[in-house]
Amino acid sequence: MDNTVSQEKQAFYQKLGEIAGAGNVLTGEKATAPYNVDGITPRAIACPTSTEQVTDIIKEANKARIALVPWGSGSKQQIGPCLEAADIILCLKNMNQIVELDASNYTVQVQAGLVNGELQKQLAEKSLFFPLDPFYMESSTTGGEIAANTSGPRRIMYGTVRDLVLGVTAVTPTGDIIHTGGKTMKNVAGIDLCRMYIGSWGTLGIITEAVLRLFPLSEASKGIYATFASAEDAFRTVGQLLNSPLTPSAIELADWIAGRKIAEAIGSSLNEGEVLLIVNSEGTNDGVERHGKDITSLAGANRAKSTFALADEKASRAWNAYRGVHEAMLGASPSALQGKASVPISKLGDMYKEAKKIGASQGVEIGVTAHCGSGILYTYLAEEHERLVRITDELKRAAASLNGFFLIESAPLSVRKGADILPPRNDYPLMRRLKTEFDPNNILNPGRLVGGLH
Amino acid sequence: MIAQSIIKELARIVGKKNTLADLKDLIAYSYDATMRQELPDVIVLPQSTAEVSAILKLAHREKIAVVPRGAGTNLSGGTIPVKGGIILEISRMNRILEINTADRRAVVEPGVINLDLQNALAPLGYFYPPDPASQKTSTMGGNIGENAGGPLCLRYGVTSKYVFGMEVVLADGEVINIGDYVEDFPGYDLRGLFIGSEGMLGIATKLTLHIIPKPEASQTMLAIFDRLEDCSQAVSDIIGAGIVPEAMELLDQNICRVIEQSVKAGYPTDAAGILLIEVAGLADTLEKQVQEISQFCQKNKVRELRIAQTNAERDAIWAGRRGAFGSVARICPPYIVCDGTVPRDKLPEALHKVGELSKQYKVLIVNVAHAGDGNLHPLILFDVNKPEEQEAAKKAGADILDACIAMGGTISGEHGIGLEKMDAMRHMFDPADMAAMRRVKHVFDPDDIFNPGKMFPPEAEAGLPKEKGAAR
Repeated sequence: MDNTVSQEKQAFYQKLGEIAGAGNVLTGEKATAPYNVDGITPRAIACPTSTEQVTDIIKEANKARIALVPWGSGSKQQIGPCLEAADIILCLKNMNQIVELDASNYTVQVQAGLVNGELQKQLAEKSLFFPLDPFYMESSTTGGEIAANTSGPRRIMYGTVRDLVLGVTAVTPTGDIIHTGGKTMKNVAGIDLCRMYIGSWGTLGIITEAVLRLFPLSEASKGIYATFASAEDAFRTVGQLLNSPLTPSAIELADWIAGRKIAEAIGSSLNEGEVLLIVNSEGTNDGVERHGKDITSLAGANRAKSTFALADEKASRAWNAYRGVHEAMLGASPSALQGKASVPISKLGDMYKEAKKIGASQGVEIGVTAHCGSGILYTYLAEEHERLVRITDELKRAAASLNGFFLIESAPLSVRKGADILPPRNDYPLMRRLKTEFDPNNILNPGRLVGGLH
Repeated sequence: MIAQSIIKELARIVGKKNTLADLKDLIAYSYDATMRQELPDVIVLPQSTAEVSAILKLAHREKIAVVPRGAGTNLSGGTIPVKGGIILEISRMNRILEINTADRRAVVEPGVINLDLQNALAPLGYFYPPDPASQKTSTMGGNIGENAGGPLCLRYGVTSKYVFGMEVVLADGEVINIGDYVEDFPGYDLRGLFIGSEGMLGIATKLTLHIIPKPEASQTMLAIFDRLEDCSQAVSDIIGAGIVPEAMELLDQNICRVIEQSVKAGYPTDAAGILLIEVAGLADTLEKQVQEISQFCQKNKVRELRIAQTNAERDAIWAGRRGAFGSVARICPPYIVCDGTVPRDKLPEALHKVGELSKQYKVLIVNVAHAGDGNLHPLILFDVNKPEEQEAAKKAGADILDACIAMGGTISGEHGIGLEKMDAMRHMFDPADMAAMRRVKHVFDPDDIFNPGKMFPPEAEAGLPKEKGAAR
């Protein structure tokens, strides 16, 4: 039995080169080591150049029961439940072209391997942009961002992935090419398979193309950076801001641990216990002007220590410092852990307090950033294994008691292997049936997402 | 026909007075805004999730079709019980359970009427953006079933953007929660699959909605054009300049005439087309928006640009648009509503094509459109006593949808497929696409209990999906 399987696998590896072209299949330790994922070094890296090649590879993989791992730039491969197997990395880096830019319809069709940052450069030449701005957007691919359902600060104004992706082309785990959604803003024809692929983490198919919603570059933009001696004052400011007719494009918070570099970039500083609130606005000159004025006075009324209104160069320097926090905090230590709490918007200040309380009682520094308009709070800490598990258990309890949840995102492999990554839900059985229906042989990203629940 | 014993059992679940099986009741629930009519066997009006679950357990045991129904305002045949069975009407589940402005959420039962929710939110300074023309009567559950749109969706997006979580009863009576009150829940977006699934995957019994603060100020305009081409070109120019009004509705001369016969909206009856434009936002930004829009209208030879000066004037302008379908029904009850949608810049081309088809098939077509979204609503009128005219109207409707597909558009922007557009599904999707949709249906509802005989053209019923994999 084992022999036949390995013969089939042998035949598969041979066909892989025939399908994708020998030059697009990498083997050997040197080539495969950088693609080590969840402790598994894959046998080969295949870089197909078309949707049809992806289809052919998937069909062959089904015959030989080969585990395929879709890969964009790899920036999110450490998130979520661990893989059970990873025979072949199916890397989409060669599929990185704009298929059609329809500027007058404000849409662009891209191949999934196109890097977000690269797309933005090409769009800027036409005075357009794509408002999706998750972590790693300079290097992450649009297909990967859709599969991982990652949204950034601009979500408060433009919505999340599901609001910005109008359609995807995907290859199902059994090798069918399907087209979902389209180029129109409104589309209710049939079951909405496009949304099924958003956040499916490569377990229901491989996204090979996507149609994205674009917006014209704004006439003006401004960032208000306000420091507060007390986090409570900052969260009160957020509450009042959200209850106003103002429509900021980002409401972000960083505590004194995560915000140190940002404070430096704006010529300020944060003492222990202090926080930095960043409120961006973009649009027409008059609208941005009004936002700047109102937000500054709102911060002042809530006892902000100092407030900086930044535009142009200064604003982008400060914003880049904020954007760099995630990678800097994670890169600071091999035992660093990043988790994400999602709680009701009005409970974000309570979640912040809980995180700080847990850090203090455990004697560990927990750095915090937050998307304040969405109830999302990121925690960063570095500790040894046992304590990471204990602390994250407490963070999970705290988030759950606020009617939200806490997820471990990036963490040392040993922690991710041992911990329950996903919060309890009662719709997992249905999700698992969906996975089984679409991927009966469990060849796509086995173990990821609901595949990790037993 | 289902057995009397089943009807008795249903009556035990929801009460006798909430179980309707008289012929007059069956007839009342046999149709919607489309032309087909089929009798259900029984109508039940549950009041709680537990009752809905008990009904489904019974239906599942007996393999009886269940058609979820809100107010029955749908425009695609979605609630017509083509296979008989049970109509499950959610109108008695109409409580607003929670409004939390600090969390930007409202939790409601599915029978809450869209406008009732708006009226509860307005005093708090908040609103729920999707505003289908039927909002006076249509339910939130129905809005979710069809993924409803509306004029304001141009700026704010459609229903799917505003539904965060749902309590859902599955085909075997199991109650689960999909989506969440909070953002970024992990796992597959079952909520995304459920929204717009036309009652074919399950029935939602509780909805968590996203609400937002009302804009500080708004301004409503009526732009009157002598040529329809100019009217639609003005839309393209405004959108092309990156201006996003709250709403931008186009109405042609025919519909204006019809509307003025029943609603006194003050629309001109001698102009080729009008645009109803509303801008909103911070008070400081409105003047400039109005100015820019009026420049684009002028560039396209606008005859007159009226700006509403009072709330009464604003309401009158809107009353005409909201009463459009009703006004048509008053003069000519049988009509086909198309819902084809094209990429935004293709609107002039699409309207031109509709005009051509009207001539070709010798049928009267009146046009309203959510113009900024490229969402057309040509209403094709015909005499129900002239079969050849009815046939011509159907053909014109099918040709309009094909033309939308050819322009890179879709067969439905907000009304759904139901019975009406089943044939057009084949023109829009490959067999593989439909097979994947049917897989989803199979996972949620392997026995085809929920709203059978809809959406998929009959020949797609054969073959797929295979009976493997998703067994529980």
